[in-house]
Amino acid sequence: MSEQYDCVPEASWIPSEKLKFINRYVVERKDTCISCGLCGSLCPYGVHQRIEGHAKVLPPYSQRCIGPTCASNDFHCVSHCPTNSLSVRESETFSALGDVRWTTDMILATWHMAETGEMLPLDHPGNTGRAGGGFDHLHFKLGDVPEKVDYAEFSTAIDLNRRKSGERRRIAIPVYGGGMSYGSVSLHTMVARAKAAKAWGTYTCTGEGGYPAELVPFKDNVITQIATGLFGVKEETIMRAPIVEFKYAQGAKPGLGGHLLGDKNTPLVAKMREAVPNTSLFSPFPFHSVYSVEDHKKHLDWISSINPQALLSVKVSTPNDVEMVAIGSYYAGAHIVHLDGGYGGTGAAPEIAKKNIAMPIEYAIPKVHKFLTNEGVREDVTLIASGGMRTALDVAKAIALGADGVVIGTAEMVALGCVRCGNCESGRGCPRGIATTDPVLYLQMDTNWGAQRLTNLFSAWRKQWCHLLASFGMKDITELRGRTDLLRYDAGEEVRA
Amino acid sequence: MYERYHIHVVPTLGRHHPVPKFVVRRADNCINCGKCERACVYGAHKRDTNDLRKMAEPDSTLCKNCFRCVVECPQRALSIKVNDEFRNLGKGVWTPVRVSTMWNEAENAKIPVLGAGYRGNFSGPGYDAMWTDMSEIVRPTRDGIHGREFISTSVDIGRKPPLLRFDENGSLLTQMGPIVDLPVPFLLDVSRISVTDAALKGMAGAAKELGTLMVLPLDSVSKLNGEAPAELLVPLISSVQDLERVPPQARMVEISHSPEWKNVLKELKEKRPGLLVSIRVQPSKELMAAVDDMAREADVLHVLFAESGMDHDGQYARDTMRLLHRHLVKVGLRDGVTVISSGGLAAAEMVPKSIICGSDAVTLETALLVALGCHVCEKCEDCPSDLRSAPEEFVKCRVTNLCSAWRDQMLEMLGAMGIREVRRLRGETGRAIFQEDAHRDAFSDITGGGNVE
Repeated sequence: MSEQYDCVPEASWIPSEKLKFINRYVVERKDTCISCGLCGSLCPYGVHQRIEGHAKVLPPYSQRCIGPTCASNDFHCVSHCPTNSLSVRESETFSALGDVRWTTDMILATWHMAETGEMLPLDHPGNTGRAGGGFDHLHFKLGDVPEKVDYAEFSTAIDLNRRKSGERRRIAIPVYGGGMSYGSVSLHTMVARAKAAKAWGTYTCTGEGGYPAELVPFKDNVITQIATGLFGVKEETIMRAPIVEFKYAQGAKPGLGGHLLGDKNTPLVAKMREAVPNTSLFSPFPFHSVYSVEDHKKHLDWISSINPQALLSVKVSTPNDVEMVAIGSYYAGAHIVHLDGGYGGTGAAPEIAKKNIAMPIEYAIPKVHKFLTNEGVREDVTLIASGGMRTALDVAKAIALGADGVVIGTAEMVALGCVRCGNCESGRGCPRGIATTDPVLYLQMDTNWGAQRLTNLFSAWRKQWCHLLASFGMKDITELRGRTDLLRYDAGEEVRA
Repeated sequence: MYERYHIHVVPTLGRHHPVPKFVVRRADNCINCGKCERACVYGAHKRDTNDLRKMAEPDSTLCKNCFRCVVECPQRALSIKVNDEFRNLGKGVWTPVRVSTMWNEAENAKIPVLGAGYRGNFSGPGYDAMWTDMSEIVRPTRDGIHGREFISTSVDIGRKPPLLRFDENGSLLTQMGPIVDLPVPFLLDVSRISVTDAALKGMAGAAKELGTLMVLPLDSVSKLNGEAPAELLVPLISSVQDLERVPPQARMVEISHSPEWKNVLKELKEKRPGLLVSIRVQPSKELMAAVDDMAREADVLHVLFAESGMDHDGQYARDTMRLLHRHLVKVGLRDGVTVISSGGLAAAEMVPKSIICGSDAVTLETALLVALGCHVCEKCEDCPSDLRSAPEEFVKCRVTNLCSAWRDQMLEMLGAMGIREVRRLRGETGRAIFQEDAHRDAFSDITGGGNVE
């Protein structure tokens, strides 16, 4: 394990064929085309192509088109076409993708990174959203970003155990995967995440829904979760896990508990959860065995006695008194305090809870960081943030605000082909086969394909972090923690939707 | 026997054609291969039942924007775009998403649940710039909605004495004024919206189902023909003479604020001592100066905000209500009087948020019309949903459904906060997070981060 943080797996091109035709621009060729082939010889991006020996030019490959700004180039196809048969327009379908938090640019950029493993330039619009606050208004005061850096010179690794005792657990990138239960996502999705986590020497999490046997080969990289429903919590799963996560609350539905709708509780899911198929499964809020920090300590001690090697993570939401909860968890013995803000992902949550209950993570991180620093225990705690970190720059901003690392979820789903349609919960679940237990739907995804997409995404992200560190003259991402002086808040001139 | 408060709901489909969020279009180059039919798990693509060789027009109302058909179409003949009609729904705080959410709530009375996380703005104006607190775990008496303890949403409307006095035998000496106990902290108010007679009856039926009060113009009382229980009606009257037309069973009336309010109130109280009198006030700086007297004598202050959620000075209800509440607390008058706020309540979360900012209860107005299918387009003479023909039963069910969904969502928020009764929520700004405070605490050491705007 000790050397694993140095591993940087190869990124390799992995096609997005399930995402084609979701383009920014549509190139159209009218019937008046005389197939002269001029456009094909002009366009350097490969929009127009004629197969050798064919009379007709192939239909335009719109995804490659750079749009109307191309008009200033001397290879602009539209203005050179002798019969005026070509036109370029914005795609209507493009506007139907995404929302203010996950903008179309961000989704396409994440797909691109997952496909190629190439980093996104730090000034690309896909790095930030348009939600009008929080991370979207925080920007790095970027110095000169070098065009080329030697990625081997930089460390993006963080320690998950910062206490003086216990097992060392170091991850090569400052992110690990959030809890997504068997039932809320498909087995293929879970295995793909676990494979990518293994490749990167980081972790993924089973969520609260049991520990499928297919994940056992990746047990060194799989966190298991204990939540109030205690679904799938067994002595053997606890003993297997390098990190055990207590879920007290989830940011997207703080104080409400989990709820797997009956439709998604298929016989297999029910077996894993030791429950009755097709019934709605509640994971109620709160733990009725925990009403104090002492009770909380009892919980943690219970895990320690079953598996002394496991690190203990405590996942809490972001109430007003979040700093008290954080320090209480620390004194109860937690290695990782995991704050989950409201704007993050979920398989299903009441819409009212996502926006309105508990503060956004952007406010909670500095609050807890400053409090733990003043209490003199900051260097013994690993502070992990989650809930609305979408891009590598969001992760870096969270670290600059005071977190040690970040847990991500939705970004992984997008890399796997999620279009953020938001229907994970209804009927058969995700039509794209990511968050579903429907046997026909989830076969759409191959686990190796998914694992490589995730590996590529992390690879691209790591490159972005390296460039960011280089622009600040840093070599190690831990230097960035708490450096709010490197951030500026800029509300810009955007119009609120 | 003790009975739990329960709202009986009946799922009721809308009468107007639904406004889908997305429009799926099939271009002419479709070759009717049927791949889209197999791709769509929602059934938006079907073959034409009259001519099975052809695909029917896609049913956009079923589309959930998963793009599978777009991707799998070999002809690239399919496209999805955001529906312009959807985009143009509503106005101001009545955003397209809110309007369509309320339609759904009024249809099925359910709490809106979606997957894939939050997709809206970071914050926004008024009530959007605040978050309610949650209770992490550590309080035994505070329990989530799936827990063992009942969460009460009832509120008392009327004046409350600061303390109770008893004689040596333990009998109550304090003279108790009239109090109306409502099971939910919202009243219906049709005095500021225009409704047909059928809609009026339907809303009265909803008020009966909910057990809450309905504010209405005095002239409308007779239109109900005694079909609605008169004890639920709150006629808006303008003088003492109007009292003759107020049904004897009515428990509350409203008067508008005027220079003579003191005399009117006194005479009303002399004639009908058991009647609650609510004064409707337009919030403004001048009102703040004169509010003490009213808070001392009136049973209820009904604060009217515009449907934009703002007062006359352009200040949002969130801030005006907090100022008003804090002022009344400071001068020692808050607990005596009931404060109802209204206007611009465009989503379920705004009810508890308004209570946190200092209201005891709220009234629903435009929300009642949206429940019927109103687009908030303000083109009432050419209503796209033909609200004028809405039958009574439809109105009753839709309004009841909306209120039930809103109450359930309030329970979610109270449960998350660990608060077991909504009365405890009033003015509990300590259990909320206001953006300007959180922003200052978190970002004041960041360049440009001192203030929100």
